[in-house]
Amino acid sequence: MQKWWSVLFGAVLLAETALTLVAPFVGWGLPPLANRESFGRDVDYLFHLILALTGFFFVLTEVILVVGMWRFAGQPGRRAIYVHGNHKLEMAWSLVPAALLLFIALVQINAWADIKYAKQMRPPHHIIEVSARQFEWRMRYPNEQTRKEMTAALGSEEWSEPTSKKAEDWGHDSTGFATDFHTVNEVHTWAGANTRIYLKSRDVLHSFFLPHMRLKQDAVPGKVIPVWFRPDSDAFNGEWITGKGWQYEQEDGHDKVWDLACAELCGWGHYKMQGRLYVHKDKASYDRWLADAIKMQRDTDDGRKK
Amino acid sequence: MSVGQTHGATGHEHPELSFIRKYIFSEDHKIIGIQFLFSGLIFFLIGGTLALMVRIQIAWPNNNIPILSKLFPVSWGQRMDPAFYNMLFSMHATIMIFFVIIPLLGGAFGNFLIPLMIGARDMAFPRLNMCSYWVMWPGFLMILASFFAEGYGPGAGWTSYPTLASVDITAPNSHTGQILWLLALMCVGLSSMMGSVNYITTIINLRAPGMTLFRMPLAIWSMFITAILQAMALPVLTVALILQLLDKTLGTTFFLPHAGVAIGNQGTGFGGGQPLLWQHLFWFYSHPAVYIMILPAMGMVSDIVSTFARKPLFGYRPMVYALTGIAGLGFIVWGHHMFQSGMDPRLGTGFMIATIMIALPSAVKVFNWLGTLWASNTQYTTAMLNALAFVSMFIIGGLSGIFMAATPVDVYIHDTYFIVAHLHYVLFMSSIFGIFGAVYMWFPKMFGRLMSEFWGKVHFALTFIFSNCVFFPMHIIGVMGHPRRYADSTAFEFLRGAHGLNIFMTVSAMLLGLAQVIFLANFLISLFRGQPAGRNPWHSNSLEWSAPSPPPHGNFETTPVVYRGPYEFASPEVPEDYLPQTRKLSPA
Repeated sequence: MQKWWSVLFGAVLLAETALTLVAPFVGWGLPPLANRESFGRDVDYLFHLILALTGFFFVLTEVILVVGMWRFAGQPGRRAIYVHGNHKLEMAWSLVPAALLLFIALVQINAWADIKYAKQMRPPHHIIEVSARQFEWRMRYPNEQTRKEMTAALGSEEWSEPTSKKAEDWGHDSTGFATDFHTVNEVHTWAGANTRIYLKSRDVLHSFFLPHMRLKQDAVPGKVIPVWFRPDSDAFNGEWITGKGWQYEQEDGHDKVWDLACAELCGWGHYKMQGRLYVHKDKASYDRWLADAIKMQRDTDDGRKK
Repeated sequence: MSVGQTHGATGHEHPELSFIRKYIFSEDHKIIGIQFLFSGLIFFLIGGTLALMVRIQIAWPNNNIPILSKLFPVSWGQRMDPAFYNMLFSMHATIMIFFVIIPLLGGAFGNFLIPLMIGARDMAFPRLNMCSYWVMWPGFLMILASFFAEGYGPGAGWTSYPTLASVDITAPNSHTGQILWLLALMCVGLSSMMGSVNYITTIINLRAPGMTLFRMPLAIWSMFITAILQAMALPVLTVALILQLLDKTLGTTFFLPHAGVAIGNQGTGFGGGQPLLWQHLFWFYSHPAVYIMILPAMGMVSDIVSTFARKPLFGYRPMVYALTGIAGLGFIVWGHHMFQSGMDPRLGTGFMIATIMIALPSAVKVFNWLGTLWASNTQYTTAMLNALAFVSMFIIGGLSGIFMAATPVDVYIHDTYFIVAHLHYVLFMSSIFGIFGAVYMWFPKMFGRLMSEFWGKVHFALTFIFSNCVFFPMHIIGVMGHPRRYADSTAFEFLRGAHGLNIFMTVSAMLLGLAQVIFLANFLISLFRGQPAGRNPWHSNSLEWSAPSPPPHGNFETTPVVYRGPYEFASPEVPEDYLPQTRKLSPA
């Protein structure tokens, strides 16, 4: 009855295979992709390619294991085959995986460069400076002048310390009022905009994670790290209505929400660093929101440089 | 327990030792190994309890939990404080890695098996060996004391990334706990260093006549390679620990950036260091440490599989080369932990290629284990079942690693539960199954008695089922984007569907924990009541089985002479299906 142990192995592995196959159809798959038109599609494609290749080898090896456990369960009087190895087999199961692994390695190089290499990032339509701190995301939406200064100072440099105190002076007029717009935990952009983020941290490591954009980047104290993403043309999830605030699009009876999360341990409130990504329908809609927002900032003291 | 009972009956000229010199401050590699085994199993219980508390918080983050919440101070509102939660998972990982898996594989089985399997009377440096155990004790005491430090103890993750770990204002009340953590790890590092120097010397110099390198069992090969890895990588970790300790106590700024950091209106002042420096130093050790935590298990599993398949190990030399390949590549892949860290992404491309290629020697090993199983005459002992579980679970853990190695995919799944699933498939479901297998295999040699096969199999079946129920769904919620180290994920829209799975995993984890009671009872009762084992209960070939069980001080009655490799099962030269390494065949 020894051979029945193979059934335990087979049953567990079969259940896992079934769960993997069923998961995407019962809401346990990747979250909806809102970055299909740029690198998001590559990420999902590579994920599924690797899933298919590893899935094949998973099934192959586990079937050999389970069938082997069943067929070669010990019987009195039987003897194992006296063999120490097989050169041809060793060559085959070294070279075939080597070729496949090399293929996996090469096929992804461009996608990685597209996502993270600063020099290859698409020219931005929109720039946001994100400064992480315990436990919130502070956003700065630069005005035209600041934007020019930022790109001059940072756009060409890949990895730099904040150059000087001058960076602190950006975005303020001579009386110290902010001319940039500052807000907390809200990323605003519009559908189809190449959105560049200059990512900073004031205290500890954080990680800027937009699951629906397939984007993640750690924020490191002392560094300004550029990343980018582009929401799809149909990724807009609501609009700004003056006096009423943000009105979400509905999808299956739910608000169409793009979450922003922190993915690097940053202290007791790590799990609370929740933000939202607001994708406006177009630039005009975004500009209407920004004008409203800047007006509100002017009307309060919050805009004064501290 | 009958350790050392046969002592004195062997005719070796060892003076009778006092109880303290024999069992406490012992220089006998077997006693030291058993000391590592017992302390490792005790810490396994502590680490497991921490894991269960982590799971409870994730499944029911906003509820008052029965019993447990009564233990919490009133100021927490009878719920778990998130800082306490951070301490739980940080200490769970620290204890499991540095106080359970590494000491069990290297300390317990390395110590016990190396001299026995190469035919030596003891380690090359017995006194150094004794020190390698006793230097663990300051580490034990400090890591346990850190639980009682203000602010619940270290909570910056087992990776202790600066600036959260190194700058006091970023994590209030973390000062003492983190310092204890750093000091405790230094003790563990010192212990591993003493151990590895000893293992390397012993394996090179003290092999019995005829025991050529390519006649060594894979368990010894793997421990040899592991010892080399440790000896080369540990100094880097030690340096990193000292640097962080200096940052923490003397106000140096190795990991503090130029402009310093600030919380509210409190600032540190100028730095001049680099937070990423820690990550490079830490992973330069801790990536090889991943292999330190799996290679010895691979070696022991190879021995177990061949013994109970009653068939020579398939591809002995390719297996040795694969071990060497994994170890060699293991030194140039540390950057794959840092793809999203802010390291120059062009470096990521290089690290990615090296990382992907490390799947190759791993695949070679899997295929050779399957080759050993094929056309075998397998006996499903508890040791064999655990070893086969190692193989089947390592396949999952190895394949899921390829997802993270692929840099663009890693952008999305980095720091999600996918990595938590992956690392538990390698470290829990491979290394721990390997350790269980090794315990069932060599318990008779250690204590002269057999563990109960029936309860061993019950324990195995439950552990196999529930561990899969705990860790496999972690892949699924990882793909959904669930970040790791979250005390509460219920506020996120995109994780709405994950909560049911989280509860399922927590319930399974409790059952998994409960199943370990069976192992514990079987282990303890068998020490005293197990059936006497005899020298060679499994009809295996390697040298330790030619010694009495348990072997006396000095191990062998006469120095063994080795005539062949350790995997001569089903040899046509003899009627039995095994042919011990020491048996001299008269020419036909």
